[in-house]
Amino acid sequence: MTDTRVPMALTVERLTKVFPTGTAIDQLSFEAPEHKFVTLVGPSGCGKSTAMRIITGLLPPTSGVIRIGGRMVDGPIADAALVFQSPVLLPWRRTVDNILFTAEMRGSDPAQYQERALNLVRLAGLNGFERSYPHELSGGMQQRVAICRALLLDPALLLMDEPFGALDILTRERMGFELQRIWMTTRNTVLFVTHSITEAVLLSDYIVVMTGRPGRKKATINVDLPRPRSTKTLEDPRFLDLAGRVRDHLEAQWVE
Amino acid sequence: MGRVIRQILTASAVIAGLFFTWELGVTLTGIPEYILPAPSAFLERFWETLPLQIEHLRITATTTLAGLALALVVGVFLALAVVYVKALKVLVLPALAAFNGIPKVAIAPLFVIWFGLGDEPKVLLAFLMGLFPVFVNAVSGLGDVEPDVLDLAKLAGGNEWRIFHKVRLMNALPHLTDAVKVAFPLALVGSVVAEFIGGNRGVGYLILSGQASLDTSLVFACLFAITLFTSAGIGAVVIVEEFALKWRASRRR
Repeated sequence: MTDTRVPMALTVERLTKVFPTGTAIDQLSFEAPEHKFVTLVGPSGCGKSTAMRIITGLLPPTSGVIRIGGRMVDGPIADAALVFQSPVLLPWRRTVDNILFTAEMRGSDPAQYQERALNLVRLAGLNGFERSYPHELSGGMQQRVAICRALLLDPALLLMDEPFGALDILTRERMGFELQRIWMTTRNTVLFVTHSITEAVLLSDYIVVMTGRPGRKKATINVDLPRPRSTKTLEDPRFLDLAGRVRDHLEAQWVE
Repeated sequence: MGRVIRQILTASAVIAGLFFTWELGVTLTGIPEYILPAPSAFLERFWETLPLQIEHLRITATTTLAGLALALVVGVFLALAVVYVKALKVLVLPALAAFNGIPKVAIAPLFVIWFGLGDEPKVLLAFLMGLFPVFVNAVSGLGDVEPDVLDLAKLAGGNEWRIFHKVRLMNALPHLTDAVKVAFPLALVGSVVAEFIGGNRGVGYLILSGQASLDTSLVFACLFAITLFTSAGIGAVVIVEEFALKWRASRRR
């Protein structure tokens, strides 16, 4: 992760966030190289979601520096896109119009992005649902629409905050592979947040393990499993070894 | 649309059943017509006085709709002020809540003193009756937008104007149609009461003249005319919802 030849899409330096209720994040530093998939893993309440909001500039840090594509973040940045735990689609918009929402908010002519939106719909396997309203889609499909919406403007950084957390376990697993497939086509730099170790190891190039309350970096783990990873990967000894290492780091905190 | 037609048919059947029972009850008990006219009697009276009904209903409808339109404009405007200017929330909300505590019908005589016997006090009272439900619904419609949606919009570069007309306004539409469904009959109350108090035209006036001559069938015929008007108005809102707010269909089921 310290390979200096690779340009960094995101650098987080000594990020600290103090709320009146206490310190949420303490001196967190990590990087996300361009076109890589980086995951933050940690127990609930370790400030992962707070970190996400700070990285996008939606929330000011108490101290520390965030750079996206070398540029310092000091306010909401249009070059980052967010996917939340719930799809937060606009109920009055059909699939394609929900995907085009980000373009409209930027002030671009949505017609310009129509074709890209339709390509994303196909890539996400939503063919035939272009004109559906959100309430006509399943939870997994809604979340795919949310991912398409985030990818529409080809963001330098895609932030995903437990995007599959609200899905049932089977859908969740399938969505992980779906995301990998989509990502291998688009190759946007991803910062993913989860507390599922399996999900983290399966999807990531790098895993940043965090401690709980206040959130600190515990370890960085390089996941060098070949892609595409499949259900077979789940039985790969290297996968089990990596998952074990993540688990060790997480469990070490319980003892401390 | 089919659902709407089915609802209309069901409602018609219920009303027909009610009228039938009423007719039967009046005939069997022999209640005199000046106390409680049978549906056949007041419907006949309605038919006889149809030109008169239309003339007066037109006047009442005009002041009601004018008052409602004013309530919509002012209510939404106040809601915008409250949603966008946090400081105003502290001022406007308690003031309006206190004002809503005054029975507006009780201040109608004041309006007659101030504005005379013309249309102004009718429109004003209709407006005041409709204002509060419009305001309350508009505040929740414009204000209760998921914070995540706002984050998403801001992150994509959305300015306040785009967020307003592509998110807040759309979010408020169903709240506003709901508001109209509540405010419309209330505005009608305002108009009719104002007509009771002063003036020589409108359905309220016609009802009073029926009362004066103990023409109970005429009073009922007027109530029938008003009810038709309210039903048509609310029906129009439902049809607008059915077409323009199709996406909401699932929530109502």
